[in-house]
Amino acid sequence: MSDDYILEARGVSYTYSVRQDRPSLDDVSVRIRRGSRTAILGANGAGKSTLFYHFNGVYKPKSGTVLYNGEPLSYEKADLRKLRSDICVVVQNPDEQIFSSTVEEDVAFGPMNMGMERDEIERRIQDALFKVGMEGYRKRPSTQLSYGQRKRVSIAGALAVDPKVLILDEPTAGLDPQMAQEVMELVDQLVEAGTTVLISTHDVDLAYTWAEEVHVIRRGKAVFSGSPEEFFSDSARAFACGLTRPTPSSVDASLCPGSPHRPRTCAQLLCSLAPEGAVFGKVRIVPVDADTDVAAEVGNVPDDQSIGVYGAIAHRAFSSGGLRVDHGFNAIEGCMTDAIRGKDSVLFCDSNMVPLAKRRGAAIEEYGKGAVM
Amino acid sequence: MDTLAYSSRMLGWAPLGKLFFVIMVLIANLATSSMLVPVVTLAIGLILMAYSTNFRIPFLIALALAEALVIIAFGCGMVSISGDTGTVIWDTHILWVHVHMTDDSFNKAWLILFRGVAGMAVMMAFATSTPIPHLSQALRQAKIPTEISELVVLIYRYGFLLLERMEVMWNAASCRMGFNGAMRSISTVASIAVGIFISSTNLADKAQTALECRNYQGYFPVYNQPPKMGVKWLAISVLTFAGMYVFGMYTEGWIDMCDILLSGVIA
Repeated sequence: MSDDYILEARGVSYTYSVRQDRPSLDDVSVRIRRGSRTAILGANGAGKSTLFYHFNGVYKPKSGTVLYNGEPLSYEKADLRKLRSDICVVVQNPDEQIFSSTVEEDVAFGPMNMGMERDEIERRIQDALFKVGMEGYRKRPSTQLSYGQRKRVSIAGALAVDPKVLILDEPTAGLDPQMAQEVMELVDQLVEAGTTVLISTHDVDLAYTWAEEVHVIRRGKAVFSGSPEEFFSDSARAFACGLTRPTPSSVDASLCPGSPHRPRTCAQLLCSLAPEGAVFGKVRIVPVDADTDVAAEVGNVPDDQSIGVYGAIAHRAFSSGGLRVDHGFNAIEGCMTDAIRGKDSVLFCDSNMVPLAKRRGAAIEEYGKGAVM
Repeated sequence: MDTLAYSSRMLGWAPLGKLFFVIMVLIANLATSSMLVPVVTLAIGLILMAYSTNFRIPFLIALALAEALVIIAFGCGMVSISGDTGTVIWDTHILWVHVHMTDDSFNKAWLILFRGVAGMAVMMAFATSTPIPHLSQALRQAKIPTEISELVVLIYRYGFLLLERMEVMWNAASCRMGFNGAMRSISTVASIAVGIFISSTNLADKAQTALECRNYQGYFPVYNQPPKMGVKWLAISVLTFAGMYVFGMYTEGWIDMCDILLSGVIA
């Protein structure tokens, strides 16, 4: 990982009220790498959201400094406007974030506040709604949407701003598992496109699987910064922070106590547990662009091979064509799991997501039990 | 109501134009004492509602309208038995109430009833075709201070959320037998009201933070501007008002409800 930090909190302390028995943030120092996937972990009330609001200048630290691109934040109105165009926070509850009466009005809210031209706003609305799969709901009143749909609209509102840093407060809270996976798939796309993404979560499995780096906050203090494997390797430390050990980590620790590897996904865990000499299946990746003839490609896939779909363009092509899908969400993981079980699969993946899929495949190879790609 | 408005065929009409037209019709409805003007107003309201919604009014809204009509009718009944001038039709005491109905009070009561029903129809035609954000835009175009139009949008938006929260609290109270008995029900409703009030302050606090996160600059921008009120709307509204006024002056006294309904009684 590079040492290019886009955001930094240096000794930040913050108190909401003088009557608090302890500060909400107490001398917190955290650095966020550019283009990284970072998770902020902590129990309820630990100070995660408070830290986020410092990053986009909504809260001003009582002491300490927040830096963006190495420069201390300026709290002048014009500077804050620029800052909030670069750093976008999606709050946990979409109802707190959706202000406009229709979906398109709400997605346009941020770009209009930035003073953009109408043509550019239109392009961003279309693009953002396409990415979250809500293009068919553009004219719908926001009050008539389900919770999951409102969550997508709130994310679309942030995407329309085209931020350099996207901060998601509990992005999967309240979502069903499938929608949670879809949101994280969208987040993966953003990271692959170069956006720095920061999430707060209680979901240790999600943080362990997804994040490259975690920062853990406990009662307003930053108690750990480093890799998820390092943090969760110490169960006592995780418990002390109000967290539990992720499933792949605890299962691996129980079944393979001396293993040099620390599996972060179920596929990696299966690989770790696989006997020596196991024969893995193969995952063939088909990059999908807007002009790819997906139907023809699917026609070439034998019936005994599973099909996974990853990325907004690929999903659109499959749903509009009514094509067979075996792994409609979390497809990289699904195809990898099939491969470890000895089954071949084909992963239809947006072109910009191919490197991510290859990295996941390479992570399997590191176990030295065979290749899946 | 908002759902109706968003699916209305009149959604694309200039909200300020509609508002101005409705106000002019309502003023004309009150400007003369002709019984026929409210009939014309009612006809305008019904035609507009038919065009706007095809009379597909949700049951709950229809119930609310019926309730309003009952209240108006009750008020008219009170007016009719509180006569002052004119020929006495009925004079008696019922318990402690002195009933004194005259032909003037009887006609006035009917006029008020007609005006009330007609006014509701016209206002419903406006309400079922104009979502609140469009109304806010109309207020802006009418140079009403931004703070007021912004408040309209915020109250509209957060009204929904607080109602949703109230429903949850209501159901939770029901689950905990909070509505067993009249006194307990009153106490529970009071507790819910307090809870909603506290929620509203929390919500306002969170909304402030969320607005800042989204680069709020002090006003709610509107992406799809509804059409502005042009000369056409002004002309239609003024001409309608003038026509109704002249018609009202001409037809004043044509209809005597007392004569139509109570001629046999008076004779």
